[in-house]
Amino acid sequence: MHRTWVERLGDWLPEKARRDLFVPSLADLTYERLVRERTSRSALARVRVRLWHASAALLLLAGCLRLHAVDRVRARMSRRARANHVPRKELTVMFARDVRHALRMFRREPAFTAAAVLTLMLGIGANTALFAVVEAVLLRPLPFGEADRLVLVKHRDVATGLSKQDIAIGDFIDLAARQQSFDALGGYGGFASTLAGAGETVRIEGVALTPAAFALLGVQPAMGRFFTADDVAEGAPPVVVVSHELWRTQLGSDPQILTRSIQLGTTRRMVVGVAPPGFRFPLANPTNVIVPVRVPPAAPANRKESWVYGVGRLKPGVGIEQAEAELAALSRQFEQEFPQQNKGSLYYAESLRDGMVGEAKRPLLMLLAAVGFVLLIACVNVGNLLLARSLARQHELATRLALGAGRGRLVAQMLTEALVLALVGGVAGVLVAWRLGPALAAMVPQAARIPGLDSVGLNVWVLAFSLGVSLVAAIAFGAVASIGLVRESARHALAGQRRTTMTTGARRAASSLVAAEIALATVLLIGAGLTLRSFANLISVDPGFTADGVLTVQVLLPPGRYPEQAARSAAYQRLFEAIDALPEIETTGAAAVTPLTGNNWTAPLVRPEHPLPAGERPPEVGWQSASAGYFRALGIPLREGRLFNAGDTIGGPQVVIVSDSIAERFFPGESPIGKRIVLGDDTAEIVGRVGDIRRASLSDSPRGDLYFPFERENGPGTTMFLRTAGDPLAALPSIRTTIRQIEPGATLFETRTMADIAAASAAVQRLAMRLLAGFALIALMLAAVGIYGVMAYSVRRRTRELGTRLALGASRADILALVMRQAATVAIVGVVIGVATGLSAARAMSSMLYGVPPWDPLALGAACLVLTATALAASYLPARQASRVNPAATLASD
Amino acid sequence: MSKRALPSLTHLQFLVLGVLRADEQPGRVIRKALAAHGVRRSSPAFYQLMARLERDKLVEGWYEQVTVGDQAVTERRYRITAEGARLWARAKSFYDEVSALSSAVRWSDA
Repeated sequence: MHRTWVERLGDWLPEKARRDLFVPSLADLTYERLVRERTSRSALARVRVRLWHASAALLLLAGCLRLHAVDRVRARMSRRARANHVPRKELTVMFARDVRHALRMFRREPAFTAAAVLTLMLGIGANTALFAVVEAVLLRPLPFGEADRLVLVKHRDVATGLSKQDIAIGDFIDLAARQQSFDALGGYGGFASTLAGAGETVRIEGVALTPAAFALLGVQPAMGRFFTADDVAEGAPPVVVVSHELWRTQLGSDPQILTRSIQLGTTRRMVVGVAPPGFRFPLANPTNVIVPVRVPPAAPANRKESWVYGVGRLKPGVGIEQAEAELAALSRQFEQEFPQQNKGSLYYAESLRDGMVGEAKRPLLMLLAAVGFVLLIACVNVGNLLLARSLARQHELATRLALGAGRGRLVAQMLTEALVLALVGGVAGVLVAWRLGPALAAMVPQAARIPGLDSVGLNVWVLAFSLGVSLVAAIAFGAVASIGLVRESARHALAGQRRTTMTTGARRAASSLVAAEIALATVLLIGAGLTLRSFANLISVDPGFTADGVLTVQVLLPPGRYPEQAARSAAYQRLFEAIDALPEIETTGAAAVTPLTGNNWTAPLVRPEHPLPAGERPPEVGWQSASAGYFRALGIPLREGRLFNAGDTIGGPQVVIVSDSIAERFFPGESPIGKRIVLGDDTAEIVGRVGDIRRASLSDSPRGDLYFPFERENGPGTTMFLRTAGDPLAALPSIRTTIRQIEPGATLFETRTMADIAAASAAVQRLAMRLLAGFALIALMLAAVGIYGVMAYSVRRRTRELGTRLALGASRADILALVMRQAATVAIVGVVIGVATGLSAARAMSSMLYGVPPWDPLALGAACLVLTATALAASYLPARQASRVNPAATLASD
Repeated sequence: MSKRALPSLTHLQFLVLGVLRADEQPGRVIRKALAAHGVRRSSPAFYQLMARLERDKLVEGWYEQVTVGDQAVTERRYRITAEGARLWARAKSFYDEVSALSSAVRWSDA
C-alpha cells in the first residue's frame, strides 16, 4: 500500500506518540486537505493546498514530539513537582538557555562561526534569490481577476507540430459559439501606432480587445469605463482606453481626460476610460492604449480573411483538461465541415501564465533545483564542521551524560545550536538575496519578454521560503552533527576513557558526508557541462545568413499618408534609394519578418499541376515579404534564377522566390525556376531559389520559406536591413537624418544590429548556462573546502594511530598513500553516485539541450575528472601533514 | 448539603463527554465543538486528551473509513462509555446543586 512521506516520517516517532497523537491527527489533516482540494478551482490553488498540507504535517510532527517529551518529563516527576509543573514554560526557558549558550560558544569560536555562517549565507542567499525570481515569474498571482481560470486558445499544425497564437476569424467565431467550457471567449491582437500630441509624435504599443475579452480579464478601470457592445456596433464612434502610465506621462494626468479625444494613427478617438495602474495585456508587452475590435457575428466565407488571438475564462468547476478535450472535439468538427482550411488543425488551451512565461519555466525550475544542490553541499559542509566540533567536545558531553543529562537533552542542545547558526546564516542570506534577486532578473534579456521580472524582490513569500530553507538546513546539519555522537559519548563515559582517535561511527559519518558532497557537485558539473556543450552547438549553428555588419531599423510611415499599396511602395523606394546613397551603407533591403524573432507566419503552397483532392488542406510553408536588397544585405545565397527586381511590382506578373527546402519537397529532381504555384484565384511564377535560413530561432530546423515581392506586399511599417561598411550603429545618425529629410512624419524605432538579434535568440540559453556553470563552480569550491576540512580533521584525530604505524616501520610514503587511498575511495564512491544521479537529471533537462545527448561522454567524463582531481588535490595537504607526524612525540604524549 | 467528593472530571473532559452524550462523533467534529466553546487545542494536544479519556475508560475510540469525493480516508471516532456517562451525570448534578444552593442559601460563619 502506498505510504506518504508524512507517514514514513511519523514512523520515527515513539510508538505511543505515533499511535495516540500522530495517526489520528494525520487522519484529520488528510480529511481537511481532501476537502480543500475538492473546492480548489485551479492548479495553483491545489499547489497552495499541498504546500499548506506539507507545512501543517511538519508542525504536527513537531507538536507530537513536544507533547511526548512533556509527558515523559511529567511521568518522572514526583506528584508534588507535577502539581507545580508548568511544562510549556519550562521548555521555553530551556530553549532560551540553549540559545544563549549557543551564542556564547559561537562568540568564542569566531573562525568556526564565520566559516559556517558564510557557507550558509552563500547557500541560503542563492536559493532565496532564485526563488524570488521563480516566485515573481511562476507563482505570483497574475494581476487579473481569478487569473488561474484564464487560458489562451492556440493553434497547432498537426503535420509540422508548429504552434501559433493566431486563430482564423471563421474558426474563432465558431469556437466562441459552440464551446461550453468557457464563460466567454474573447479576441485580441497587438498593434503599434503613433500618438500625435502637442509635441513630437510618439510611437506607442497597444492591444485591440473585444468587449468580451476586456470583461473576462476581471479588472476595473481607474477612471471611466471599458468597452461595451455599443462601441463595436456598425457606425459607432471610435473610442479608446488609455493606460494609467500614458495618462500620467503623455496626457498630463488630466482629470478631464474623459471629455477629450486623442489622435491615434489616422483616427481620432474619444477617451472613454483609463486602465488601472500597471495594467498590461499581454503581460510582457507594453500596453499604452486599448482599442475595441469588432468580430463579425457570423463566420465569413473566407474563414481566414483575418486573424485574432484568443483568450477565455474557464467556467467554475471546469479544468483545463476538460476545455482541451472540448477544443480537440471542435477541431475535429471543423476538419469535417471545412476540410480544405482545417484539416490537420488542432486548437488547444494553455494557461495564461504558461502561455506568457513560454519556455522560461523549465530552465527556471532547473536552476532552482541546481541552486538547491548548492545549499545541500553547504549544509553538508556545515554539518561536517559541527560534527568535527562535537567530536572535540566528546569529553564534555560524556561527562554530562555520566552526571545524568538525558540523551534527548544533549541532542536538543545541538539542534538549538544548529538552529541559531542557520537563522544567522539565513538573515545574512536574505541580505544577499535582496541584491542578488533583482540582479539575476536584470541578466535576462529584455527581448525574452518574460513577465514579472521587473518586480523581483523580497516579499512575504520569499522571506517565508528563506525561513523554511534555514529551518530545513538546521535540521539537516544538526541531525548530522548529533546522530551517533551521543551514543558514542555515553559509552566513553561508562568506560572512563579519554579518546584521542576518531571512532568508526564518526569516521563513517564524515566519509559519507564527503561522498555525498562529491556526488552533488558531480551532478551540477554534469549539468553545467551539458548546457555548455549545448550552448556552444547553438551559437555555432549556421543560421543561413550573415548577421555581422547588418543594422535593422523598423520604420513606420506617416499614418494615413499612403493608404494605397502603390503609393506606399513608391514612398519606400524613395527612402531606400536615399539611404542606399549614404557612404556608410553597402546594401539596403526590407522585409516584413525579422529572422530569429520567433515569427511563424505561414502560407499555403499548392502546385496547379497537383491539385489537392477534395477535402484536403494545403500544406503550409513559411511566409515572407522581402525586397532584393534583403537577400543581399543578409547574404542569403541565390541558388538559381534571380532575385526580385523593379518589374516585380503591382501591375506586373505575380512572382515568388522559394527556398531550398520547398524546392526539394515540392519539386524533387527538377528545377523550380519557371514553375508556378497557386496564389488565390491566380498563379505565380517561381523566379528564384535561395538558401534556407533559421527562421524563428537558432534552434529551429531550417524550414521552407516562400518569398513574395516587398514591392507588392507591404504595410505602413516595415523593417529595413542595412549592410554597413563599418560599425552598423555608427551609421544610425545618418540614417535617421536621411529618413527625416525624405519622410519627415516617419517614425523610427527598434534599431538593433542583426548580430544582437542573433545573440538575443540564444540569450536565455546563455544565461542558463552561465548560472549553471556559476553554481557548479561554487559547488566545486564548497566540496573542495569540505573535503579538505574533513580530511584535515581526520588526520588530526588519527595522529596516534599514524604515529604508531610509523613507529612500527611504515614509511612516510606509506602514510601518504594510505590517506590518499582513503580519500580516493570516498571520491570514487561519490563520483559514481553523482554520475548515476546526474544521468537521471540530464534526462529531465534533455528538452533544453541542443545537439547534445543527455549521456554526452565528454560532459560526463570531464565532470568525473574534475571532481576526482579536486578531491585528491584537496586531500593532498592533509595527507602530507599526516606523513610528517613525529611518532616519538605522539606516543610520548599518550 | 451532604458530604460528597468534587467531580473528578475537569471542565474540558466535562465538555468533551457532553458532546459525546448525544451521539458518537469523529475527533475533528469534537474539536470543532470545543472551538465553538472557545477552547482551541492543537490536534496532538486534543488527541492526547482523548487518549487519556480512553485510558480512563470514559470513552471508546475506533477508526472508521469515510469517503471525501472519490478518496477514502480513515478518521478516529469516539463514543461515551457507561462509566463516562455516569461521571458526566454526576458532575452535572453537582453543578446543578451548587447553582441551586447559591441562590437559596445565605452563607455565614455561624
